[in-house]
Amino acid sequence: MPGPLDGVLVLDLGQFLAGPYGPMILSDLGAEVIKVEPTRGDSMRYGSPFIGCQRGKLDIALDLKQPEAQAIVQRMAKNADVLHHNMTKGTATRLGVDYDQVTAHNPEIVYCNTYAYGFEGPMSISGGIDPLYQAVLGLEYEAGGVSHGNPPMYLRFGMTDTANAFASVLGVLTALFHRKKTGKGQDVWTSLLNGGALFSSDVALLADGSPAPMRPSLDKELTGISACYRLYQTQEGWIQVAITQQEEWKRFCNLLNLPDLAVDARAKDYETRTANRAAIEPAIEVAFMTRTAIVWAALLDKAAVSAEMCIDTRGGETVLHDADNERLGLIATYEHPMLGQMTQFGNLMDFSETPTGDFGPPPLLGQHTKQILSRFGYTTEEINDFIARGIAYQAEEGVAYPWSL
Amino acid sequence: MAGALQGIKILDLTWGVAGPLGVLMLAEQGADVIKIEPPGGDPFRTMPGAPVWLRSRQSVVLNLKQSLGREALLRLVETADVIVESFSPGTMDALGLSYEVVAARNPKIIYASLQAYPHGHRYEKRAGWDALVQARSGAQFEQPAWRPGPAHLHMQIPSMGAFFLLSTAILAALYAREDIGRGQHVRTSLFQGVLAYTTMLWQDVENLHAPDSLIMAKTSPPGVHQTSIFECARGEWMHAGVNVGRVATSTMEEILGVEAADQARLTSDPAYRLAHTNNLRSAFFNRDRTELCKTFFDAGIGADPILSPVEMYNYPQFGANNMAVQVEDPELGVMTQVGIAPVLLGTPGAVQGPRPVVGADTRKVLASAGFSPTDVDDLIASTSTGSMKAGK
Repeated sequence: MPGPLDGVLVLDLGQFLAGPYGPMILSDLGAEVIKVEPTRGDSMRYGSPFIGCQRGKLDIALDLKQPEAQAIVQRMAKNADVLHHNMTKGTATRLGVDYDQVTAHNPEIVYCNTYAYGFEGPMSISGGIDPLYQAVLGLEYEAGGVSHGNPPMYLRFGMTDTANAFASVLGVLTALFHRKKTGKGQDVWTSLLNGGALFSSDVALLADGSPAPMRPSLDKELTGISACYRLYQTQEGWIQVAITQQEEWKRFCNLLNLPDLAVDARAKDYETRTANRAAIEPAIEVAFMTRTAIVWAALLDKAAVSAEMCIDTRGGETVLHDADNERLGLIATYEHPMLGQMTQFGNLMDFSETPTGDFGPPPLLGQHTKQILSRFGYTTEEINDFIARGIAYQAEEGVAYPWSL
Repeated sequence: MAGALQGIKILDLTWGVAGPLGVLMLAEQGADVIKIEPPGGDPFRTMPGAPVWLRSRQSVVLNLKQSLGREALLRLVETADVIVESFSPGTMDALGLSYEVVAARNPKIIYASLQAYPHGHRYEKRAGWDALVQARSGAQFEQPAWRPGPAHLHMQIPSMGAFFLLSTAILAALYAREDIGRGQHVRTSLFQGVLAYTTMLWQDVENLHAPDSLIMAKTSPPGVHQTSIFECARGEWMHAGVNVGRVATSTMEEILGVEAADQARLTSDPAYRLAHTNNLRSAFFNRDRTELCKTFFDAGIGADPILSPVEMYNYPQFGANNMAVQVEDPELGVMTQVGIAPVLLGTPGAVQGPRPVVGADTRKVLASAGFSPTDVDDLIASTSTGSMKAGK
């Protein structure tokens, strides 16, 4: 399936998560993505979620500290539509792949650098990882309930890495569209800080510097933000309710056998149910303990009250192996030469005319080195010479790395 | 309007979080966005994020439940590039505004639908509030709380994934349109928004012990990042000691005056690790956070303060990246709000204007779409009755 970005060639010189995840999304959308990987491997190959951000890519392993390897990248970049990486400031220049060096041969390229702190400012020289931006953007403060005296809490979803990657995807797609119209490429950047800031975009200041009206913070127990928008514990399991309409609230109170609460002035609308949590919630909490979450979920459905049983997916197992999710392409399964059958999320977006979903597995280090070099015009002799001198590395069958772990 | 998407016209029928925020990503790169609001205005305008998420667009009030309003929308469709909607499934069809109807008027249009669950899923008709998708997707059980059981996520992960997917899908379809010459129906969902964040957590591989197989362990909390959180003087918190890829000129222990840890024992001996962590905790306690952050950063060790969301506006890098912008909101006055994330140096994006007043542009937009003054009056009269309820 060609996908909306059919015909677009992307060079991905990124490592870790915030760099490679964006090009993986471009690959999902039909772009051809060549991962240019150091001969010692992406620094995350031994760490955690490497296979979560590499699928569908071709892989060439090059030692970019050597000028001849830099020349190879330049030759590839001459024919590429996008060059994407997350190197810290100054690194690309040392490796011969900064914006000026690349556009000297290909002025129309869309060039994207995803930084940690950003391109300007006092800390721009440094790399950084997700928890630092969750810290400064208020995410850990809110997630932990610090305003109630709790410690901060790290959100386990790699929030700002993913946000940085998606911000770069938006930047690249916007620039590609503009190039299609005008023929002009350009320099794009974003950062973990920039992308992550969108998560706190409902926070603003008034003219005097005081906070504009804000969403209520989580309670101390981290159950929710309102008596009618929170988790309740049941006899077994948890129920999340999201009750917004007053009639719905009345049905809810009657179902829980709390008729007084249905007409209580302290619970007359969403705002008062938020403000008067301490007064309203104890009765509800007691009522919910009389049945299990499975039973409550069915009863709430029958009473037309918006609620869900809180599902423990066992680390995603019940989602990754759900028949509907598989049938609809939300889950992707493919064969990896070393890992065997692997399963991860599939289609994130659906396109009626340019369908996607034919993802390949993550590549081995240098799996396509010879093939890519040959495609860009290098002779077999030259290729073998590059490999012999450590400028390039070609994966051998059955070997994941050229060195022992 | 300047920007890379100059000339792209978007009809925005979304409400809530993910739809408006997704559209904002396109509006501030230069797309011309018209927000179509029901009589009485978008009921989600009271959300704290609304002054930001509804920026950079015009507002037109139409009563889509009446044929006059529906016809007016279809007239606008004829010259639009994109129409985006986030109603519950079946609503657009019931209004006579299905993809087929809209595409018949304008085959080049990109018709984007955002739902809670994907089209065709057995959960498709379930209520779509963010926290409900958090619960059903398993996201809440993925996050530890200060008690056993799941945590409600203040960070609306489903919506915060879906807005990226929505704007990405629209941009990809606009790009493809240049090649294939026609529009298409693109869809995404809050549920897929959650999936976008699971790449570090939810993977299965057959050969668990093969190289490359490592993912974040399914039962790993609290994890390394949680244990890098330390309390300083005055109850202030910070992250410290996380690897940022620079060569550190000294160690955290050196800076804090704590005996250096035996790295081998740290991994093999839990009691030793706990004792070391407690030593570090005591060393952080009563130290000045600002001073420590600077010392660590200068030494090449990752460190940052854990701030409240409001305090992010005082963080020096925030301003340096132009992520704080001044906007004059018609209701709340001059505000400092979050700026534009991707920076396009060749075609800089810009805030195109504040959140519009409900219906501020109805007359102007309808007139420029060719409606006569009498027709415009009739259309406006048709919006004086009835208002759409939020949600279902």
